[in-house]
Amino acid sequence: MADPMMIYFTAVDNHGGIIVQGTPKFDLDLYIQNYKGRTRFDRLFLIGRSSVALCVDALKAAVAEAKRGRDVGRYREAVESLRLAAPNEPEATFDQAWIDVTETSNRNETHRLTTELKGYKNNLVKESIRMGNEDLGKHLESIGDLNGAGDSFNKMRPDVITPKQIMDVGKHLVRVSLQRREWSLTMAHLNKMGGVQLPDDDHTLQTYIKVAQGIAFLGQERFQEAAMSFLQADSEVGSSNYNEIASPNDVAVYGGLLALASMDRDSLQEKVLDNASFRTFLEREPHIRRAVTQFVNGRYSACIATIEEYRTDYMLDIYLQRHLPKIYGAIRSKCIIQYLIPFSRVKLDTMQAAFGTSEKPIEGELVDMIKAGTLDARINTIDGLVTVATPNPRLKMQREALETAQNYEKQAIDRLRRMGIAAADLEYKGQRRGGSVSNLMNSGPSFQTELSFDESMG
Amino acid sequence: MDHCASVLLAFPHTSELADNEDYDKAARIHVQKVDKLIKENGGNFPIFAEQLLDIVNPVDHSISYLALLLALVKPPNAGQATLLQRVSRFLLTFDARQIRYAGSAFSELLSRIEEGWLFPQSVAVELSATALLRLDPTGTILTSHHLPLVTLAYNSNNIDAVLALIEKTIVFYPGINLTESRPLSDLRLPPVAYMTPESGLTARINTTTVLKYDLLVGMCFMAKRRWQEAFEALERVVTYPTKETGCSKIMVEAHNKWLLVGLLLNGKIPTLPSTTAQGVKKSYETLSKPYLSICEAFVKDSAEGLKSEFETLGNQFWSQDGNLGLIRFVLSHYQRWQILNLREVYSKISLEQIRTTTQSAETGAPLSSDAEVEALIQGMIDEGMLNGVIEKPLEDGKPAHVVFLTSTEDLSEAEFAKKMLQSARRIKDLGPIIKATNERLATSQDYLRYIIREQKKEQGGGGRGAAHPYELQVEDEDLMTGIMRS
Repeated sequence: MADPMMIYFTAVDNHGGIIVQGTPKFDLDLYIQNYKGRTRFDRLFLIGRSSVALCVDALKAAVAEAKRGRDVGRYREAVESLRLAAPNEPEATFDQAWIDVTETSNRNETHRLTTELKGYKNNLVKESIRMGNEDLGKHLESIGDLNGAGDSFNKMRPDVITPKQIMDVGKHLVRVSLQRREWSLTMAHLNKMGGVQLPDDDHTLQTYIKVAQGIAFLGQERFQEAAMSFLQADSEVGSSNYNEIASPNDVAVYGGLLALASMDRDSLQEKVLDNASFRTFLEREPHIRRAVTQFVNGRYSACIATIEEYRTDYMLDIYLQRHLPKIYGAIRSKCIIQYLIPFSRVKLDTMQAAFGTSEKPIEGELVDMIKAGTLDARINTIDGLVTVATPNPRLKMQREALETAQNYEKQAIDRLRRMGIAAADLEYKGQRRGGSVSNLMNSGPSFQTELSFDESMG
Repeated sequence: MDHCASVLLAFPHTSELADNEDYDKAARIHVQKVDKLIKENGGNFPIFAEQLLDIVNPVDHSISYLALLLALVKPPNAGQATLLQRVSRFLLTFDARQIRYAGSAFSELLSRIEEGWLFPQSVAVELSATALLRLDPTGTILTSHHLPLVTLAYNSNNIDAVLALIEKTIVFYPGINLTESRPLSDLRLPPVAYMTPESGLTARINTTTVLKYDLLVGMCFMAKRRWQEAFEALERVVTYPTKETGCSKIMVEAHNKWLLVGLLLNGKIPTLPSTTAQGVKKSYETLSKPYLSICEAFVKDSAEGLKSEFETLGNQFWSQDGNLGLIRFVLSHYQRWQILNLREVYSKISLEQIRTTTQSAETGAPLSSDAEVEALIQGMIDEGMLNGVIEKPLEDGKPAHVVFLTSTEDLSEAEFAKKMLQSARRIKDLGPIIKATNERLATSQDYLRYIIREQKKEQGGGGRGAAHPYELQVEDEDLMTGIMRS
């Protein structure tokens, strides 16, 4: 059985997929129960393609999930993957009969809904047209035609009347664009929703918007904004309101990790730990709370150890997977910087013990951080020390002042020279307008210096 | 001959002339008389000239002396030692105020020297440079003599002799004549008012001359390894103001060199100043591609890329552009900059580690021994490129290493004030130049036309008062486009 798995993961690797070796801590069944809708398949399939440990289980669950729905494309995809990874499983064979039946019924349904919509359009009843579009959109989404679904939902816009309807359209569109991973489009739809005033169930909607917004920011690697969005989610709002995109556990993990990656200690205390609403989310993921507390208390290596324990889990998350190395890197860098703040110099060995691992010595990481400008320090490899650069505002001010004066002088002279050239009417007058580059080459006055730099150097 | 002498010596001494106007009148009459004298005596003149030179003093009677010299300095006489001595004495001592009236004769003499057959080249360069600076001590105007002179100096490898000249900041260019009301003899005149095609001290120059001059100045500084000045000179060509779209080949050539010099100077890719015209920027992007690739490879961590960028195009390509030597130099400096950048990260680092982390772009591989690394670093320290020391501790366990020293010592308040004051003074010194530029622009045709139009509007259109501020603004913009366009 190991052999087909090898081949399967080699293929995944070749397609640029991410492979996760370790065994995650979560239970697949319990995990997937938190979600509803199409995201269930997406998540299962992602785990099936990434996790070596859960591959077969996840793919089997994905096949079952696909078969419960009407999306033939997904079913094929899942079975195809399973067939490669574990050819002996009963689910690994195509259920051709099911495919035929589902395809036919899908076709008929599409046809029926399209015809109905045409009828509504002829009757010019706005409400019916809106509902017709909605039904068609939902159907197209369920069979996997996300483009068509997006179009249909968009066509609902002219016919919506009540705020509730606007919200529904918005949610449909956000869901579709999230599935298509079009982050900026998601943001645009969310902004439209945000502008609508809803009297009663404001919090429900706010939370939905904040969660979706957070995911969209995360997709664009705008970590700080994403963290702020997640932190504004209200824990009293039932998870059923947003579980077609994320679970409350996800909110806790995303919010906590991103806050760790982007905020300083005071903000973490104030906005994460003291945030009554977000606290409830954190109770679902106590280790995230632990990590944040450890960071705030200055126990940086413990903080890193805590989140490292869960790396495998998060690598199997549909939204975190691509960004996790960056987020973890940011958290690490922040820990190292915070660690160094109270000291003027630290022994390399101490840092190695706190942050380094045997396969990744701390020195290399420090070098990268200094080069990237995130850390202002110097390494002394001879005495094994890291010296933190002490800022010298006076020197900086003096340098800047002298530089400004120099620049002023240089610019003044340059302007005078330009005026001199203009006054003598000596500007370079180009060739005819629109002359191509090759023209330029040939028509510009040629100048060959008789003696080149080479000779005078020798 | 006595008659000749009396005419030549007729120019009164400065103390006898009351003011600039008198001087102006006297000088003009004197020039006419000397011209007439030469014409009347025709072929005989050179015969007397030899003896007359003994009587005429080059300092007090510069105009006369010059006329005599010009009559003699011709191919058959060229080699005579006494004559040459006289020419050099004249060029080193002449009265610049008088010579303003004998511009074309002076230019003629300079051109003969610049042609190079009169003196040995090194002497010719030195004499001409000194003479030009005596004429215009501020050195702020580019004359038609600059380019031939610097070309001669560069080609004959006598750059040192022109350094004083090319170090000057040039802000004026001879061109459209000024309506100057003060007489030529006025010593307060800015150089742009007397170094004119009308006075004969310079000929008209064209755009190509200006571009060539700055490129050549850049190359002179490059040959002297004065990268900062070379960079600035080349930048003047790169950002040369253009009208409409278009870009001279000289500008592209300067841009190529400018990129490489920028690498040597700062170890990073130079950015085009905001004053570069947009269209020109685009042309550079296309025409300087090979050089831009070199730049990109230079700032990478591996020398391999730089080496292959250089080798794919081959020696032939680079030497065709006249940049082979420069680019070789860039390659040899790659490792130096790698080491220099280490000071941003390390305060002390072992030679061994430097050897393994940096590579030579000439071979694409690390240096083979620590001794070589040590020699390279010692060289950098000696040249003043690197602020640091190499230490070889005697105790065990500590390898030979480099200590990077930082110049974080801040200046004392007094020192700082002194530096700021110097800067302020330099800016203040621009005052006369600004005044001259202002006068020059105020008398430019475009501006006058604009003023006249404005005045007409004032007289005629009282009723359209409301439209004025707007139109004024538009006109103003129109006038300045050529100057301010970046």
